Amino acid sequence: MNLRRLWAIARKEAIHIRRDPRSLGLALGIPMLMLLSFGYALTLDVDQVPFVVWDQSGTPQSRDLVARFRASRYFDFRGAVENYRALEHEIDTRDAYLGLVIPPEFARRLDASRAAPAQAVVDGSDSNTAAIVLGYPQGITTTFNQDVMLAQVRRSTGLAPSPALDLRPRVWFNPDLESRNFIVPGIMAVIMGLIAALLTSLTIAREWERGTMEQLISTPVRPAELVLGKLLPYLGIGMLDMAIAVLMAVFLFHVPLRGSVTFLFAVGGVFMIGTLAQGILISTVARQQLLASQVAMISTFLPAFLLSGFAFAIGNMPVAIQVITYIVPARYFVAMVKGIFLRGVGVATLWPDLLFLVIFALVVAGAAIRFTRKRLG
Amino acid sequence: MWERILTVLRKEFRSVLRDPRMRMVIFGLPVVQTLIFGYAVSLDVRHVRLGVLDRDQTPASRALVARFTGSSYFDAVAYTQDEAVARRLIDASDAAAILQINSGYEACLRGGRTAAVQLIVDGSDSNTARFVVNYASVIAATYNNQLVLDRALRQAGRIVPIGSVDLQSRAWFNADLESRNFYVPGIIANLVMLVSLMLTSMAIVKEKEAGTIEQIMVTPIRPVEFILGKCAPFAVIGFLNVGLVALVGLFWFSIPLRGSFALLLFGTAFFLLSTLGIGLFISTVSQTQQQAMMTTFFFFFPAMLFSGFIFPIANMPRVIQWLSFADPLRYYLVIIRGIFLKGIGLQLLWPQFAALLVIGVIVMTFAVKRFHKTL
Amino acid sequence: MRAPPVSSAEIVVEVQKLEKRFGSFIAVAGISFSVQRGEIFGFLGPNGAGKSTTIRMLCGLLAPSAGSGRVAGFDIVRDAEKIKTRIGYMSQKFSLYDELTVEENIDFYSGIYRLSKAKKIERKEWVLAMAGLRDHRHSLTSELSGGWKQRLALGCAVLHEPPILFLDEPTSGVDPISRRQFWDLIYELSSQGVTVFITTHYMEESEYCDRLGVIYRGELIALGSPRELKARHLQEAVIEIECDRPNEAMELLEHLPEIKEAALFGKGLHAVARGADAAPAVQAIREALAGAGFRAPRIESITPTLEDVFVSLIEARDRADAPQTEVQR
Repeated sequence: MNLRRLWAIARKEAIHIRRDPRSLGLALGIPMLMLLSFGYALTLDVDQVPFVVWDQSGTPQSRDLVARFRASRYFDFRGAVENYRALEHEIDTRDAYLGLVIPPEFARRLDASRAAPAQAVVDGSDSNTAAIVLGYPQGITTTFNQDVMLAQVRRSTGLAPSPALDLRPRVWFNPDLESRNFIVPGIMAVIMGLIAALLTSLTIAREWERGTMEQLISTPVRPAELVLGKLLPYLGIGMLDMAIAVLMAVFLFHVPLRGSVTFLFAVGGVFMIGTLAQGILISTVARQQLLASQVAMISTFLPAFLLSGFAFAIGNMPVAIQVITYIVPARYFVAMVKGIFLRGVGVATLWPDLLFLVIFALVVAGAAIRFTRKRLG
Repeated sequence: MWERILTVLRKEFRSVLRDPRMRMVIFGLPVVQTLIFGYAVSLDVRHVRLGVLDRDQTPASRALVARFTGSSYFDAVAYTQDEAVARRLIDASDAAAILQINSGYEACLRGGRTAAVQLIVDGSDSNTARFVVNYASVIAATYNNQLVLDRALRQAGRIVPIGSVDLQSRAWFNADLESRNFYVPGIIANLVMLVSLMLTSMAIVKEKEAGTIEQIMVTPIRPVEFILGKCAPFAVIGFLNVGLVALVGLFWFSIPLRGSFALLLFGTAFFLLSTLGIGLFISTVSQTQQQAMMTTFFFFFPAMLFSGFIFPIANMPRVIQWLSFADPLRYYLVIIRGIFLKGIGLQLLWPQFAALLVIGVIVMTFAVKRFHKTL
Repeated sequence: MRAPPVSSAEIVVEVQKLEKRFGSFIAVAGISFSVQRGEIFGFLGPNGAGKSTTIRMLCGLLAPSAGSGRVAGFDIVRDAEKIKTRIGYMSQKFSLYDELTVEENIDFYSGIYRLSKAKKIERKEWVLAMAGLRDHRHSLTSELSGGWKQRLALGCAVLHEPPILFLDEPTSGVDPISRRQFWDLIYELSSQGVTVFITTHYMEESEYCDRLGVIYRGELIALGSPRELKARHLQEAVIEIECDRPNEAMELLEHLPEIKEAALFGKGLHAVARGADAAPAVQAIREALAGAGFRAPRIESITPTLEDVFVSLIEARDRADAPQTEVQR
């Protein structure tokens, strides 16, 4: 392999990038946009859920329960309704998200030391939010039950029992459960995977469409020089994107960076090389920009978004899908970035993930070189 | 006029679908995406990996551990008495939480005092962490109630009946809170948008690059006819995608389709008006397919993120919420989910239809005007 | 016309029964020929005849379906990559990078061919001078007109001073003056000993070549110098006719016994007589046209051009291939 030829290819690609300021601007701007979106605007934390109450009991006990809901930071009281139709309406029109229904016999049953039913009705079509939201009433009613129990024991036996069990949760690495700390490191992987797809997936296909590829393959240039030469400038852009992302994460979003910065960038470099090579592989096989762009979307961006563990925990997925995630490089990268940022771990703990990324990069780059054919047809 | 449109349309269909790989991507992609989404996406948290650090090793501590492992929420993955081991579990992400019971637990309980137990949670996945803390609190509180009751029983010498609230949760429209019922209909929206946006903008720019647009424009064809003929195939592909995903959703995932499919197609048509318009607009501001692709993405990504597809709009900052009113995907999502899961009809969905119409007409007009100008 | 090259030169391109099939379509049907060092060898044929396919096989861009060939001493199937170090190729689309400047394009290709630093500078100045682009070295290639792009593409193809040059329709779509200048460049390269293999469908350009291969429907139907081709394939006299309604006139003339064939040529007709003597044919034509009421201001015998040869060859081939459906005249 000849370095001078490789350099000629790299330099030409760099000139091409420079002469297309729009694409370059987007390549740098889209990640920033995504970071800002995820950092500020997008959150899965659900607070202030609007709710309505249909209190058919109207007793001090039921009012106590309602008051606890109103006092919770998770709920935002929107009013009381008088009948089922009104409740339905509120939920159908999304004015309320949850409806608390207290049946008439509520207080009577409580006093009679029996189980007193109540209902929390949620709009399940947004199962996302529904699952989160339905966790909150459980917490409220558990505390309510505890108080009821203590009061009844005291009344009944004159004893004032102290609690037996005190569970103290201690959250490591992210004590405030700041979801930003969780999302921002993960989004870095998605961004970098995406940029790779957008930039490199079109490059060789474009040359085929324009006719310059035919010229190129009539020269002594080797496939390895072609692939690596094209990869270099985009690697530069990718690392620049990563630097921007890290800076924003640390200084704008105050995500703690507890591990080694050098290691972080080294890992980023390996990941980038792999994903860029993937884009080039797609480009050289597709030979058409339209096709290459679609394939790049499915195979780099979507897996990075859905299957990397960035937003959806892998542990919750069916086993078959979990197996698939083992070949998604973004999965390892997300895990590593989160580890380096929040847990401050290094190569000693993360070496298996790093190993996969290295192997992935080598295999895909090799494939890209292998499939770049210096023949027509 | 129709004949000219049809000619352009036929040519476009042929050129887009000529490559068998392209055919596979256009029709296979929706299916693949639906399957992956349907299976992968779930925010429900179950089978949380729990490490047990039991330094007490008494019947009481084991009973407590059993409470956790007996629930469907926690799976015990490791038992140890070594704190360093426990720490490593969390560092290496082998466990999401550690239940730490110090020695003297049982003694504490017997002595009528309060026994403190620690739950160490890996906060780097704040989503899971929040669930873990909540579940654990509920398990602990319930167990605590029972322990206190037992205590009182022993002290008072008789059974004390206790009333308690039994809260039943009901999720309307999606009783099992099946995530995929939520996401799969949403995928239709995303696919339609992505395909119609990206393919339209790139296909038109491809002709610009090849110079064939000039060739077409010197024929008697009118720009409007060209646009219609050019965009129509992608609209058709969009409709086919809707059908495909709906089929996969209905028969593979058993997602209910409670409303009218015809209304869904109707809504899709309104939606396509906007997306094709945006695609057209992008093609007028892009010189190369690369630019078209990246600009498409620049529009598509925020449109997807702020549409309520995954992240609830209600939680977004005010400014973004206002911006999302201009996002056609937002309205289409409501229509889709409404038709699939709630079975509602035009009476309740008409605001969405109206919004789509308004946005669509504005965007299309603007795009066509620009198209004329840049020829 | 220029003096033929030294005749004892070596063979630098040689093909034997070269064949290329695309599915059931036979693009190149078993052709054989050879080219000597320093020759300007032209491949003449209509569009779709197989010219580009052949040139691509010779450059190692396309693998042949059957047959063999050697370029610069290397086998085109086994040593395709080695060939690429010894040739210059100019593809049909003038493959330059539109978004690069003239100088950047040159720099790129000199990097690809690994020119030493000193050589790079020397060759760059040479190309710029040769193409007349010295003042435009910083212009974007997309802004150049056809003729300049073509010269630049040629320059980029010879940066590494290859002994053999393959040019695929290099003058398509370029104005006649630029075409003329381009051929001056080719002559100059040839005088320096470069072998030029060029495909074209412009008739007058075929006259500039030392030797020609005429290819039609994948077959080599004639091979030789322009003079040889005219002598061998067209011994009959050729008559040029200016008249009105040439289409109808052609119909009429084809039925004359003195005329072998007639074809449209420019605004008028060229008729090939039966025999080397033009006089009886001219007479017959004049009478026939006058008798049928055509106005024919000019009927005279001319020196046959390669186009006449070409048309005659093609028509002969068509006649041989097609089944006889019409009644013999």
